[in-house]
Amino acid sequence: MSEILTVTDLCKSFSDQPVVNSVSFGVRESTTLGIVGESGSGKTTLVRSILRAIDPDSGTVRYNSRKGWQDLHSLSPKELLPLRREIQMIFQDPFASLNPRMTVQAILEEPLIIHGIGDKESRKQRVAAMLEKVQLEPSSASRFPHAFSGGQRQRIGIARALILEPRLVICDESVSALDVSVQAQILDLLASLQSELGLTYLFVAHDLRVVREFCDEVLVMYAGNVVEQGPVEEVFNNPQHDYTRLLLSAIPSPDPDEKLEPLARDGLQLEKV
Amino acid sequence: MSESLLSIKNLSVEFKTELGKVNALNEVSFDVPRNSITAVVGESGSGKSVTSNAILRLLPDTAQISGEIILNPQGEDPLNITSLDERDPRMQNLRGGLVSMVFQEPMTALSPVHRIGDQVAEAVLCHRDVSPEVAMAEAATMLEQVGLTEVDKKIRMYPFEFSGGMRQRVVIAMALICHPQLLICDEPTTALDVTIQAEILVLIKSLQRKLNNSVLFITHDLGVVAQIADRVVVMYDGQVMESGSVRQVLKNPQHPYTRHLLASIPGAVTDSGSQLHAANWSDGAPIGAGTFLADAEEGRQVREFSQ
Ligand SMILES: Nc1ncnc2c1ncn2[C@@H]1O[C@H](COP(=O)(O)OP(=O)(O)OP(=O)(O)O)[C@@H](O)[C@H]1O
Ligand SMILES: Nc1ncnc2c1ncn2[C@@H]1O[C@H](COP(=O)(O)OP(=O)(O)OP(=O)(O)O)[C@@H](O)[C@H]1O
Ligand SMILES: [Mg+2]
Ligand SMILES: [Mg+2]
Repeated sequence: MSEILTVTDLCKSFSDQPVVNSVSFGVRESTTLGIVGESGSGKTTLVRSILRAIDPDSGTVRYNSRKGWQDLHSLSPKELLPLRREIQMIFQDPFASLNPRMTVQAILEEPLIIHGIGDKESRKQRVAAMLEKVQLEPSSASRFPHAFSGGQRQRIGIARALILEPRLVICDESVSALDVSVQAQILDLLASLQSELGLTYLFVAHDLRVVREFCDEVLVMYAGNVVEQGPVEEVFNNPQHDYTRLLLSAIPSPDPDEKLEPLARDGLQLEKV
Repeated sequence: MSESLLSIKNLSVEFKTELGKVNALNEVSFDVPRNSITAVVGESGSGKSVTSNAILRLLPDTAQISGEIILNPQGEDPLNITSLDERDPRMQNLRGGLVSMVFQEPMTALSPVHRIGDQVAEAVLCHRDVSPEVAMAEAATMLEQVGLTEVDKKIRMYPFEFSGGMRQRVVIAMALICHPQLLICDEPTTALDVTIQAEILVLIKSLQRKLNNSVLFITHDLGVVAQIADRVVVMYDGQVMESGSVRQVLKNPQHPYTRHLLASIPGAVTDSGSQLHAANWSDGAPIGAGTFLADAEEGRQVREFSQ
């Protein structure tokens, strides 16, 4: 399978602190690349730089669009617009990314209007079908974001990203706030869209169980660097890097007899329970 | 002082919407005993946040509430929260002093225009009579305890300069620093990677023991429940399905929904409802299933590496 996205030597610093340090990777079409790593390791900065929500300092991001390869960072905003239909992002903080004064109907319809898709009636049908796919009731359409639970709001964000039938979806902790059963349903939805429409996912997550189930390849970040990268089974069965090992060992077990015994890391004053 | 710190009795909540009524809670009853951690688990939309918002009287005017929420604070008269008048001075005491809350969405709890350090110090100043310098020093210490590094620099930064997990930890620090009698945490660790989650869980638990207070911990992760809680309440569709000690409920779930929750942990073996080694899905990797690196040598390596 050919690559759909190629990132080369991407760098971003904030006030002279490197946050993303010369990161390179490729994503093959119709596969899922997981990105895991410590909080603050640069995952959000990295994925936001791809669509230029953040301007990187250097490096290239090349995307294989329906019209061929494009260098995302040298396009004008006008040239970028049609690509924004192909590449969608689901944000980490669902509440902050939903306009509180718009109903769910308007939130989901907006991207269709911006890209000139359908008429009023067909858009309404598309919104209804999308709501059903993310397991929200039809009556949700007329409600405002504040009238939903956290997980429901996250599903509104997912619906908004998927309604344009994108080719590449960047998910930043998009299922973290969902309980396991709804999470499983959303992951099933994402997986079936992948096999139906050939979608590609870039999947930032911290739940390694989810990454193992859902991703083909994984990239482990630590302090702005990619420290490990490869097929999920390989990386998880034979982690090479200390941080990967630490991550794998810190998964809480649902058995109350197996207690967490955290290792005090540098800068932490923890008492043992 | 045998009563529980918090007692919820037949709590029902209905929201008026344009399309009629939404029944969010239906006769919910459970207790939060003193000196313990009670977890509430349940599906998305099952009413976990509505319950915790009701305890702080944070529900919107469209909510119709019936039932009782009784708080029995140490050394003070019991408080019937549902019947308290909004202008009652005890309301201020409830929200700031007796109960504090870590909200599900951290950005909603942080002001975008104030520096991190000032916001955490403000939380100290609101509830305790100390000088601004002391408050700032306490804030810095607490931020270190929730795992932030280079705190001297970070206290001068703004929320938009923080990562998602760093913001979540700031909000946790703000709640912990008030030393409330009841700490409510609504999915406090969803945006954190497992290593930091583990550290936060230990921190919450050790502070709970030190302060002898109680924690109401909302989560959808049964692994987290097993590690932190003493008791657990399982909710589904606005109702309590079962409740009991963590051991009782997780080792021997009575309700099909609880069994379903256990089975749908990613990687779980689903052929048996009581399959508890769900996290042990790997054979090759040193999966601790709840334990950090067991091997001291490996631990030392990681410690050195993180410096
Ligand atoms: N606008 C900004 N200004 C200054 N520093 C920033 C800014 N945005 C991010 N940072 C810093 O960059 C680092 C990486 O942040 P980023 O949000 O990419 O982390 P992350 O890996 O997504 O973490 P998390 O898992 O907690 O969401 C952090 O130290 C953060 O403080
Ligand atoms: N202001 C409101 N108006 C109408 N319905 C509401 C309102 N607030 C919450 N609800 C509904 O009440 C139900 C319970 O919501 P709640 O936020 O308690 O769920 P939750 O268990 O916290 O879920 P999650 O795990 O997704 O955060 C949901 O169906 C939600 O849509
Ligand atoms: Mg992030
Ligand atoms: Mg909630």
